[in-house]
Amino acid sequence: MSLVAPTVEPNPLREGLEQERVPDASCLVIFGASGDLTHRKLLPALYSLAHDGLLPAGQTIIGFARPDYSDEAFRMDIREACNKYARTRPVDDAVWENFAKGLFYVQGDFSQPDAYIKLNRKLKECDETRGTGGRRIYYLAVPPQFFPKISELLGAEGMVTDPERGGPYTRVIIEKPFGRDLQTARELNRVAVTTFRERQVFRIDHYLGKETVQNLLVLRFANGIFEPFWNRQYIDHVQLTVAESIGVEKRGGYFDSAGITRDIIQNHMLQLLSLVAMEPPVAFDADAVRDEKVKVLRALREFPRGREEEMAVRGQYGEGSVGGEAAPAYRQEDSVKPDSRTETFAALKVFVDNWRWADVPFYIRAGKRLPKRVTDISIHFRPAPYPLFKKLPGVQTQPNVLAIRIQPDEGIALKFDSKIPGPTVRTAPVTMEFRYATSFGAEPPEAYERLLLETMLGDSTLFARRDEVETAWAWLDPLLRVWESDARPPKPYPAGSWGPQEADTLIERDHRKWRRP
Amino acid sequence: METTVTDLFERAASGEEVRVDYTAIERTLADMWRADGVDEQHTVTRAALWNVVAHTLTPQHHAYASETLSKAAAAVPQRTIIVRADPDAEAELSSWISANCHIGGDGKRVCSEEIAIVAGGTRVTRVPPLVNALLIPDMPVALWWVGDLPHENAEYVHTLLDPADRLIVDSVHFNDPADLAIVKRVADDTGTAPADLNWIRLEEWRTATASVFDPPEMRDKLRTLKRVQIAANVQDETYFGERIESLFFASWLMAQSDAEIDVTFDLRRSDRRGLIRVELELADSKATIERDHDRCVLSTNIDGRISVPDAVTRSQLKNIDELIVRVLKQPGSDRLLPKILPVTLQLAQQMK
Repeated sequence: MSLVAPTVEPNPLREGLEQERVPDASCLVIFGASGDLTHRKLLPALYSLAHDGLLPAGQTIIGFARPDYSDEAFRMDIREACNKYARTRPVDDAVWENFAKGLFYVQGDFSQPDAYIKLNRKLKECDETRGTGGRRIYYLAVPPQFFPKISELLGAEGMVTDPERGGPYTRVIIEKPFGRDLQTARELNRVAVTTFRERQVFRIDHYLGKETVQNLLVLRFANGIFEPFWNRQYIDHVQLTVAESIGVEKRGGYFDSAGITRDIIQNHMLQLLSLVAMEPPVAFDADAVRDEKVKVLRALREFPRGREEEMAVRGQYGEGSVGGEAAPAYRQEDSVKPDSRTETFAALKVFVDNWRWADVPFYIRAGKRLPKRVTDISIHFRPAPYPLFKKLPGVQTQPNVLAIRIQPDEGIALKFDSKIPGPTVRTAPVTMEFRYATSFGAEPPEAYERLLLETMLGDSTLFARRDEVETAWAWLDPLLRVWESDARPPKPYPAGSWGPQEADTLIERDHRKWRRP
Repeated sequence: METTVTDLFERAASGEEVRVDYTAIERTLADMWRADGVDEQHTVTRAALWNVVAHTLTPQHHAYASETLSKAAAAVPQRTIIVRADPDAEAELSSWISANCHIGGDGKRVCSEEIAIVAGGTRVTRVPPLVNALLIPDMPVALWWVGDLPHENAEYVHTLLDPADRLIVDSVHFNDPADLAIVKRVADDTGTAPADLNWIRLEEWRTATASVFDPPEMRDKLRTLKRVQIAANVQDETYFGERIESLFFASWLMAQSDAEIDVTFDLRRSDRRGLIRVELELADSKATIERDHDRCVLSTNIDGRISVPDAVTRSQLKNIDELIVRVLKQPGSDRLLPKILPVTLQLAQQMK
């Protein structure tokens, strides 16, 4: 996304090609390679990159996990996964053959130093045979509690190098959750910097890898018409919705200890909010973009102590039906405590206290077992300053809405009023619509493809920085503490509805309504 | 009235060319689209990112352009205008409309329109203003010249080129270096950027060759490139257009490496047209890029002192519609083609 200063002269033969920069070959080690993420997302994404010719010759991937596999068994397993989940499925024999040559498996317990000796031996062997030059990317597809130990043992074995200290690069990718509150996030970050420098740490939030999320920046800063209206003078309020129709699936144990606020709002939704509300960055590079995002997070108004309910609603789904199928109550889901007080829905009214957004509410809501899966941002503009047509019968003007659909049916729509053809003046809202699928046809790359490639290129624009993560937690922590100390259960809502009644009240008190996405 | 518009739409969307008066093309198109939303069966999404004008001379070329662009429209929605203009034919000017519809990524029927204009005799001169009037405003224009470029009727060509952002040609059909010189003149003297499908065909070869020099330890070796051997299959080695792909490849290496290179060509007669093997001789190593037709890949390997694993590049650009889609999906004009055209012309003269 941004231009990171290349370490060697650019390849002139790349000029004019679709991929003008190709990363240098490296060894990508996936910790927890036997897990779901590796099979469903990571390796299918890497295979699709190889299929599209975006990986360098010699790129090497090493699965590292406890189960005993041979290289060959691992490859067969991964081929099957790519056939099921890769964007570019079915697997192409010729591409696979070459991709599989760089795919290895090292068995080991990542809490044991011996395993790292074995892994390091394999890495050095790959440097010799595959030209990876000591470049390392460690992808920690493991729960965050393992991070300190892995980090410590990588450091102890001398497996972390840095160009600033004269060595090849080492980068580490970590998955959310980045802690469960400010204290644990700080601890995680503290541990990270004992072994890695901040710029070596890539905190992945797959939302930032989505084309439509990246398009938010293009929409705002590549078009001259939006930015002049993108402020409190013209915008009445903003709504953000992340709705999931599914329940907790197999993640009941994790989700019950986290809740929707930690799982979705603290990361994905605050990232979206930052991109909507940020000031134009001085440059399109990692630090400039993230500097502006973190300023938004710093400007979030604190929840009023003792009056949190005026600004925040939490809910939990009961029995109901979604898409015509019966759905159990949250407390009946696998691995969920029968008396759980974990929220599966949250709606917040948020203010960004700065010059641009003073007193403009951002209503954000996220929930599970809502009627459909949709992520949507809508910018609601103020009405025209003078209601010229109000005395005419049949005229009901409505404020303009710019709706940005992140998923599915990615696109942008602008609602405005138009005259209904006829002898009298009557109006109706109409929509101008842009859809990615219609205009650009081809399926966009998966978020993980983009993010893995950016890591190889060393560009961290699309990754969360330490201060972003900590500032987000610092803002949410007080609310989470209040909810945790509240003995009352969350507000109930039937599965398949848009959340509890109190969420509607939250916005209707301000004489506004949730947009039906 | 509704029956009429839905009938019109159904006929056009089924591929039938509906004859219309050339003075009423836009009005008839508007009528056709009024069928949209009349009922569920007639709900479509209309889209256009480009105006694509195909200029043809013969009925065969016209049919070929229509088929090609209807496929391309599925990937890049466009208003397609196909012109068949033959000054030697009987005087006539007639037009047809049809719709190119496909199911989009979101499962909805996406349609764009195709207009056909047939002109003969003196009426050919009326074509450029008619085409100009039919272009969707604020959308880029690509003019695809099907077949050989004309050396006469300069004013006619100039008027057609005037609104065009891109001129698409396929130099495989050129029978003389003078045709290539016309493309160079378009690049030098007009605001229209040329795009040559023969150059686009090389993209995968360029990608594979570039990959040889991607490893940091190989980057400096490009300047040591001394000798290049290019082997290509051609259907007729005496026809100039068949040689252009190899010439382009050599010119590109010369222009980008900034090195004095000794180039040899090995053209072999075969129905499977295109480059088949390239050998790059560097100061201390040799790189080979080879097409594996059966596996549809280009394999790259480097011998000598540096050991880099083989790489493969998928070789997939085959059909003209795919090549045109590639041109239309390029966000800006091609920076390289104007740079290598003078080198190619020079090489072509030497090869004569």
